[in-house]
Amino acid sequence: MDKDIMIKVKDVSMRFNLGIDKGFSLKQGFVNLLDPKMRKKHKEEKKKNDFWALKDVNFNVQKGEVVGFIGSNGAGKSTLLKVVAGVMKPTKGKVEAYGTICPMIELGAGFDMDLTARENIYLNGAVMGYSKQFLDEKFNEIVEFSELKDFLDVPVKNFSSGMIARLAFSVATLVEPEILIVDEILSVGDLAFQAKSEAKMLNMITGGTTVLYVSHSLESIRKLCDKVIWIEHGVIKAIGGKEVCDKYAEYINKNI
Amino acid sequence: MKNIIYSIKKYKFLLYELVARDFKVKYKRSVLGVLWSLLYPVLTMTVMALVFSNMFRVSMPDVNYLVYLMSGLIIFNYYSEASNLAMSSVVGNFSLINKVYIPKYIFPLSKCIFVGINFLLTLIPLYAIILLTGTGVNIHHLLLPFGFICLFMFTVGMGFILATISVFLRDMFYIYGVMITLWMYVTPIMYDFAMIPAKFQLIFKLNPLYWYIYFTRDIILYNQVPNLNVWIYCLGSSLLFLFIGMFIFKKYQDKFIYYV
Repeated sequence: MDKDIMIKVKDVSMRFNLGIDKGFSLKQGFVNLLDPKMRKKHKEEKKKNDFWALKDVNFNVQKGEVVGFIGSNGAGKSTLLKVVAGVMKPTKGKVEAYGTICPMIELGAGFDMDLTARENIYLNGAVMGYSKQFLDEKFNEIVEFSELKDFLDVPVKNFSSGMIARLAFSVATLVEPEILIVDEILSVGDLAFQAKSEAKMLNMITGGTTVLYVSHSLESIRKLCDKVIWIEHGVIKAIGGKEVCDKYAEYINKNI
Repeated sequence: MKNIIYSIKKYKFLLYELVARDFKVKYKRSVLGVLWSLLYPVLTMTVMALVFSNMFRVSMPDVNYLVYLMSGLIIFNYYSEASNLAMSSVVGNFSLINKVYIPKYIFPLSKCIFVGINFLLTLIPLYAIILLTGTGVNIHHLLLPFGFICLFMFTVGMGFILATISVFLRDMFYIYGVMITLWMYVTPIMYDFAMIPAKFQLIFKLNPLYWYIYFTRDIILYNQVPNLNVWIYCLGSSLLFLFIGMFIFKKYQDKFIYYV
């Protein structure tokens, strides 16, 4: 059974310092230097600014499981996905992932607006860690799916936002990764493309890959996920099957 | 070590794409395009030559001043441009760093390679001047790549250090702008090193760029193989800064995401 575990999240905590943007100022440094009382106060203030986006989060994901994450805004869902994807290192704890990860946290990361669609397909593919050979093979497939064949040599800055999203979606979904991380993007573009992209997403999700899926649509979570994790204020409130969705809905209703 | 090799293998294509991107974007919409890489150093050199040989009457008795100027200039320009781009590369690619996992060292490295290719192009006008002025080419020129590789390693190391500092301290962009101006004047690019008072010469020699330029000029202008100690200074300084840079960058890279 241990062999089937794809992702192990162990005691993961993540601390942000909200005061970081204030940074270090010369004035503050000077005051601290002269006045020990102020120094102490400053230190305490710094500590107060500490914000734990995640606190001792533990869970395992098995192969082929579709895990849904629910919780209010700022609960720590996206942070958790970023930690799993390796974008951030947890302050404490450990994340182990066995398999290639395709993070669809934001589409079109790494597009260069001055480059053409063709050039961006390769650039974006490279950002996601694919080889040139692989992209050469899949190039036609990507172009076909995005339906942007006539605009291949147009700089992306002249694209409409819908077209950019279509291109990004087509590049991002060109493989079937072992672990797919999806942050609230099931469909993009116009109506026709929305249907197409949603079908593709569903295909990927139900096709046996391990999926971590964040959404505010309880309906889609109920439909797709085997396991639901409810996060609130950085702590796992409940973990289990679809019944977690009901608990969450109840909690929301009570708090309105 | 095994990890490093694996990540270089995996991200080789990304490195290539990032360098290619810089090239495509740099010359987009410019009529002369890549020709600017050749023309630009020639034009700056001409301006400097006019100013320094006519107005300040810098004279080099044994060697051709144009070749002297050009050889120092292309080396310093490489360092200056590459280190500046490398410094802003991490901050500038924040939108990527924040969304996908990419080894972050790839950004400063790609900038140093990109400017490096430009540097190789500037060798064309350099050799044109060498031939036109009758300075001549000899077998020792085959040793030049050693100096260039040292220059590259030094620049990558400095790029890592600067990129790390600038993430935490944005003031660095301004500070370094001033530093690089000072650096240009303490590097013997347009004047003869012998003009420097003897008591300051030791300080000037602490500048690694001095040694890369010295190595290059020894070969190009004086047709001789540089002394052993020059080789050691070049290699030693470049490896030292490369390792310091790698160490600092590796130590702080996980914190970048909170500050950019």
